[in-house]
Amino acid sequence: MPATAAGKPVNGPNKGLFQNTAGFSTLITVTVLTLAWLAGFASRLFAVIRFESIIHEFDPWFNYRSTAYMVQHGFYNFLNWFDERAWYPLGRIVGGTVYPGLMITSGTIHWILHTLNIPIHIRDICVFLAPVFSGLTAIATYLLTSELWSRGAGLFAACFIAIVPGYSSRSVAGSYDNEGIAIFALQFTYYLWLRSVKSGSVSWSICTALSYFYMVSAWGGYVFIINLIPLHVFVLLIMGRFSQRLFVSYTVFYIIGLLLSMQIPFVGFQPIRTSEHMAASGVFALLMAIGAMKYLHSLNPKGQWKQLLIVGGLTAAALVFIMVVFLTYMGVIAPWSGRFYSLWDTGYAKIHIPIIASVSEHQPTTWSSFFFDLHVLVCTFPVGLWYCIKNINDERVFVALYALSAVYFAGVMVRLMLTLTPVVCILAGIAFSILLDLVLKEDEVIMTQPEPEESKNLYDKAGKVKKRTQEPLPPADAVLGMNVRSGTLIAFMILLMLFSVHCTWATSNAYSSPSIVLASYGNDGSRKILDDFREAYGWLSQNTAEDARIMSWWDYGYQIAGMGNRTTLVDNNTWNNSHIALVGKAMASNESAAYEIMSMLDVDYVLVIFGGAIGYSGDDINKFIWMVRIAEGEHPRDIHEADYFTERGEYRIDSEASKTMLNCLMYKLSYYRYDSGGSPPGYDRTRGSLPGNRGFKLTYLEEAYTSEHWLVRIYRVKKPDEFNRPRIPLAKRTIPTSNAVSKKFTSGLGSGVQYDTTSKRRKGLLKNKPTIVKGKKVGRLE
Amino acid sequence: MRFKHYLIFTIVLTFYKIDAQTRAKGLEEKVQQLTDLTAKKSIISLNYNRFKDYVKAPPRDYSFVVMFTAMAPSRRCAICQHVYDEFLVVANSFRFSQIYNNKLFFGMVDFDEGSDIFQMLRLNTAPVIMHFPAKGKPKPADSMDFERAGIHAEAIAKWIQDRTDVQIRVFRPPNYSGAVAVATLFALVAGFLYLRRNNLEFLYNKQMWAGAALMFCFTMVSGQMWNQIRGPPFYHRSKNGPVYINGGSHGQFVLESYIVAALNCSVVVGMIAMIEAAGGVKNPDVVRSQVDGKKRRFQSVVGLILVCVFFSLLLSVFRAKTQGYPYSFLFK
Repeated sequence: MPATAAGKPVNGPNKGLFQNTAGFSTLITVTVLTLAWLAGFASRLFAVIRFESIIHEFDPWFNYRSTAYMVQHGFYNFLNWFDERAWYPLGRIVGGTVYPGLMITSGTIHWILHTLNIPIHIRDICVFLAPVFSGLTAIATYLLTSELWSRGAGLFAACFIAIVPGYSSRSVAGSYDNEGIAIFALQFTYYLWLRSVKSGSVSWSICTALSYFYMVSAWGGYVFIINLIPLHVFVLLIMGRFSQRLFVSYTVFYIIGLLLSMQIPFVGFQPIRTSEHMAASGVFALLMAIGAMKYLHSLNPKGQWKQLLIVGGLTAAALVFIMVVFLTYMGVIAPWSGRFYSLWDTGYAKIHIPIIASVSEHQPTTWSSFFFDLHVLVCTFPVGLWYCIKNINDERVFVALYALSAVYFAGVMVRLMLTLTPVVCILAGIAFSILLDLVLKEDEVIMTQPEPEESKNLYDKAGKVKKRTQEPLPPADAVLGMNVRSGTLIAFMILLMLFSVHCTWATSNAYSSPSIVLASYGNDGSRKILDDFREAYGWLSQNTAEDARIMSWWDYGYQIAGMGNRTTLVDNNTWNNSHIALVGKAMASNESAAYEIMSMLDVDYVLVIFGGAIGYSGDDINKFIWMVRIAEGEHPRDIHEADYFTERGEYRIDSEASKTMLNCLMYKLSYYRYDSGGSPPGYDRTRGSLPGNRGFKLTYLEEAYTSEHWLVRIYRVKKPDEFNRPRIPLAKRTIPTSNAVSKKFTSGLGSGVQYDTTSKRRKGLLKNKPTIVKGKKVGRLE
Repeated sequence: MRFKHYLIFTIVLTFYKIDAQTRAKGLEEKVQQLTDLTAKKSIISLNYNRFKDYVKAPPRDYSFVVMFTAMAPSRRCAICQHVYDEFLVVANSFRFSQIYNNKLFFGMVDFDEGSDIFQMLRLNTAPVIMHFPAKGKPKPADSMDFERAGIHAEAIAKWIQDRTDVQIRVFRPPNYSGAVAVATLFALVAGFLYLRRNNLEFLYNKQMWAGAALMFCFTMVSGQMWNQIRGPPFYHRSKNGPVYINGGSHGQFVLESYIVAALNCSVVVGMIAMIEAAGGVKNPDVVRSQVDGKKRRFQSVVGLILVCVFFSLLLSVFRAKTQGYPYSFLFK
């Protein structure tokens, strides 16, 4: 990033002006951190500049919707919000099933700004929240690293984390998600924890617990904290580093953190009822036991206390462990949930929870994605780890454990790269700081002692700051020579420069797509915006009844609710697998079977995403096999995955595809009336083949809307009286009076009630007429 | 003479009668025999005659799941043993479960015992698991697709449920080998510690711990977990010789990940060498007194070269894998 590079020369000219070292280093620190904040903020704005200030992807739309609800209706109404627009007909208690920290944060900012009479729309706050918080993360990382090593290393780490792609992947402008603020809370909690372990003061521990509370309110990843801190304590105990400071800080943190975390409705009693939290309470009990024995020891310092201590500690540990296992066995404590269990047993999710396995960010990580997200840091952070372990103390035990656990989790799941990134930045910052510190310090010794004014421009900020904090080396150390030192400097400056251009490139190319607005580039470099999603959702909100129920695959649930403002059956909060499986079954069945399911679920419209016309690969046909798998998990009698493959086991859509595939609802809705896409009309550019079933008619549905590039297709589900209904005997014929259908027309006109009554009157008139045929006609017309 | 005729007639009649009996009573008898066989061994091994009688001959009201395999060591079929184990797990689960009935039987044909069966069914490969339904001929879907479903017992059970509507809950005999291995390891470590209880200094050797931690980091960062889960080939043999680097960014070979781990390791070693040459972190006195300036300069230069060269190599490998990546350093 330009600003990081700009941050470096700042200290050179300033140096002569400030003889006061403390003030000088503070100024440098503040300047560098401000620049890091600015650089981090600026590098996350690609999406806003290229497209517009818009909420991205899927989950952010839900967060935005609930934030807007909270701002409009107040916090308590938000906590009690029952959203009948989601998971029809079940509904969702939103207040009790979200981590409200994100909404509260942006709601608070909104409130403060409006109190100051700055009229800003809540959407803009939501869009820019994550980039702003990336600056706070940089500061928290600086604080954490300075606790661990030195302030120079802290500045390096802050600059790294401000721009590293592994973190900006989740915090670009518009990606309004929990992770955006949670990484800040994570780093800040760790910083406060190290402070409290160092000082042993109750106030720092309470601060840790408060910060932990914020983290719990913000992200489900708080489980990482509540397992890592006990692990730290446990390892310190094993290493024989028990101290009163540790005792005070952990006990205070655990009790207050436990009570606070249970205040979040979504978390509730989980901290005392589930296995994920049991490590913390086990370590608490162990610490208590060891503390008690130490106390007894202090009463009578003579005798066989040491052995008793070891034996007692081991017994206590064993007791605690057996207790937890027993309680789990008895069912008092819930066992590990599937999501966590799949981190240890990596094959588990694939067999038992297809809905987890189907998400691409739950896949394991290749080395190239490590390199993509961390670049030079990935091969330098082990150096920091090496020196942290070689010069171990209480805090560095923590960072070593942090690094080892995070690197394991990141290896198992791409998504958890996010928790690895901060610690990699810290350790790489330490590594760079050590090296440049040494290289520059010798320079300093030779050059500055004769004439301090001369040394300019060569210095790196970190070396500068660090030099002041550690005792200077004697001049005899100057052995490396000028050439080697400047060579090293130049090489490492090049590496850092490569890192910053890589970060910009990665953020710009890979992580800045809003994914609801697509861009395509022509041969001449001209850009074409494909705005099909918003077009279709806009159509939904304008042309369908207020209470219309839209069936789509769960990926699009939040977007339909957020942009179309309509009721959905399933959405991205995948809490009810059987409901999702039902939708999957409807999509995978043939039209008449699907119609049964759809009328059971009161579906009015079906929405499918079809990318064949423009070659968009993330469409429903490509996701379809997961729908089949999830449906098969719940309805093994009706859906068989093998039926959707060809006999040779290929997944195809052309004329060789299986019959089931060619006649299922998803296929028909995708290819109905499709004649675009290239030289043979109807060519599917995503799959690169011609669909095998074309020119068919739909019986139970009718096309309602197709967006400009065929990307979103919406179908209306016909009422039973609209398709070839069986002949009813004369006596049983009635004219339908209830009318969801007529409402749809009236809502479009905007004068619902009046029109409705007139139509009813007209109906009454017709009903009295003796001829049946006319009445039937009216029924059809409607 | 007449007597003789009578005898022959009787014999013929008897045979005819027996024959008729087998035909008439065939089904019950067959089921009875199969049940007896299953009681002995949950997978019935079939030769040509048995196969014809039990599996092919028409009066059947039971489904037959048959595995065609080549277990003889000379056939060198590595996967056959795996498939056999998993198949046995399924068969046993069915045999000892509550839903056990005589509507489903498990059988096995070894190539060396029934090559004529292979010919009859035109099978060229092994192992194959086929389902012979009670009525009608096997359809293409009646032979299991290992490629897609995998060879796990669960997958086989699911496929059987697909084909026959018999739901088998797979019950694996608990596998103690993992637990035993862990226990042995613990015992070894504990014994080792006990033997050296007077000299536990090595536990405080930070270098060892740091080295172990670094090893773990290299393992994870080079994507060994991905290898473990996805099981890619060691490297790819193509027409133009072996390919060590997977061309796409979503895949990798085992060898490739080792190369990357080595590259990462070299960069780290180079950087540590530079730091040590420049005086180390805490106790520069030791270094200074022992190593003279020239040597340290040399070490520093070597470290720098290691860092630059191997990082550039890493970057160029990454660049080769990532479409449209614009940056490189030293090498293209």
